[in-house]
Amino acid sequence: MDKTDIEAKVIQFIASKVENVDVSKITTASQFGELGLDSMDTVQLLFDAEEEFGVSFDGDEVKNLRSVGDIINYINNHPPSMPA
Amino acid sequence: MRIVVTGMGVVSPIGIGVDQFWDAAVKGVSGIRRIQSFDASRQRSQIAGEVIGFDPTSFLSAKQVEQTDRFTQLALLAASLALEDAGSLESYAPQRMAVSLGSGMGGFATFESSAARKLQNKSMPPFTVPRIMANSAAAWIATKYGLKGVNLTSSTACSSGGNAIGMGLDLLRTGKADAVIAGGAEACVLPLTMSGFEALFALSTHFNNDPEHASRPFAKDRDGFVIGEGAGILILEKEEEAMRRGAKIYAYLAGYGCACDATHIVAPEVEGQVSAMKAAIQDAGMQPEKVDYINAHATSTPLGDIVETKAIKELFGEHAQEIAISATKSLIGHTIGASAAIGSIATVMTLHSGTIHPTINFAEADPECDLSYTPNQAIQKKVQTAMCNAFGFGGNNVSIVFTTL
Repeated sequence: MDKTDIEAKVIQFIASKVENVDVSKITTASQFGELGLDSMDTVQLLFDAEEEFGVSFDGDEVKNLRSVGDIINYINNHPPSMPA
Repeated sequence: MRIVVTGMGVVSPIGIGVDQFWDAAVKGVSGIRRIQSFDASRQRSQIAGEVIGFDPTSFLSAKQVEQTDRFTQLALLAASLALEDAGSLESYAPQRMAVSLGSGMGGFATFESSAARKLQNKSMPPFTVPRIMANSAAAWIATKYGLKGVNLTSSTACSSGGNAIGMGLDLLRTGKADAVIAGGAEACVLPLTMSGFEALFALSTHFNNDPEHASRPFAKDRDGFVIGEGAGILILEKEEEAMRRGAKIYAYLAGYGCACDATHIVAPEVEGQVSAMKAAIQDAGMQPEKVDYINAHATSTPLGDIVETKAIKELFGEHAQEIAISATKSLIGHTIGASAAIGSIATVMTLHSGTIHPTINFAEADPECDLSYTPNQAIQKKVQTAMCNAFGFGGNNVSIVFTTL
């Protein structure tokens, strides 16, 4: 999966998880807070993303994941060892 | 001050909503089937009273479903039905509206699924703890309806719902609340929980191919309880206030008694059960002879049903033979922390309708169970004072008295 694929899939995934948000408004620059997610929603979203993309966010690095692009970059830099 | 029941909501293996539940109960419909929610082929007991056709997405958002365990979802539906039944409670300040709920296991579906993930080194769902905690259901009910008063959860195993209703009565009598959403919820038709009960030889195992006949309280060949799930909620208010707002009044919640055996962690005992029933009748300011119906705890275990029979005979003496008894668990199995709440709803409906639902599967009586258990067919009888029993692990005994007098 190249980065463009990851980007499309992550945005589509986030759109499916976030309530009341127009898909066209979700960009790589979108911060989770801007999408209406509070801290618990964000933790839940990251958990769901781990399940979806077969990655495991490192305990310390997870604190730096604040935007859609951060998730895309993380997945791009940490390809899953097993298919998702 | 008298406390009244003005609304009821039930989610059970024989129906959702009081009308559906009561109609099935009076007809003697069994809600026990082979387990559908997971592959139970490796369980010794492969049957349960599951709530069929329950869809949490029909009343909760996807996010709310993700954040709640099934026991909370069942409780939320029962609460919404009860509140709808009670009509407008807008005259009460939110700070004066309490929730008193019971659950024996809390969010154990979440516990079991998250534990399985942990053992496989998978990441942990972030709502694991808020879904598991026993007060989750009470907290969600409060949040959904903006109920800002006392918020309690009783976890006394199989008597949890009874304690919760009793605590609701106490809250109203002591002036700590003006309305209480009281009841119980349980959803533990689950492999680990069932295996635990199986290890105690508490569950029925001889009726896996004949599930509808497995739950047979007081019958000779009973072999353990059948696990069930569900929720029951009652709306409790002070009589004057309920009348002022023109509420429909089902019955008085007149007495609450509890007692601990203090002898054994799981084996029931006559003395503690007698004490609880006696305390409830005293609390109601009545004489035992006034009781004309008992919704028995009656789980269909070999020992439990005999002990309860002995306790009723010891307390009521000759009057015991005149009391009509029935076992809601014969229909729906044992819903643990919800059982006394659902049993209370059946008790109130008995007072309200003049019909006593049957104890089904009563083929042949156990010689040691020699009272009137309303075998197999409903009976019509004007009942004015009724008691609901709930006895739990921990030696916890609870009795609640409802009356129309």
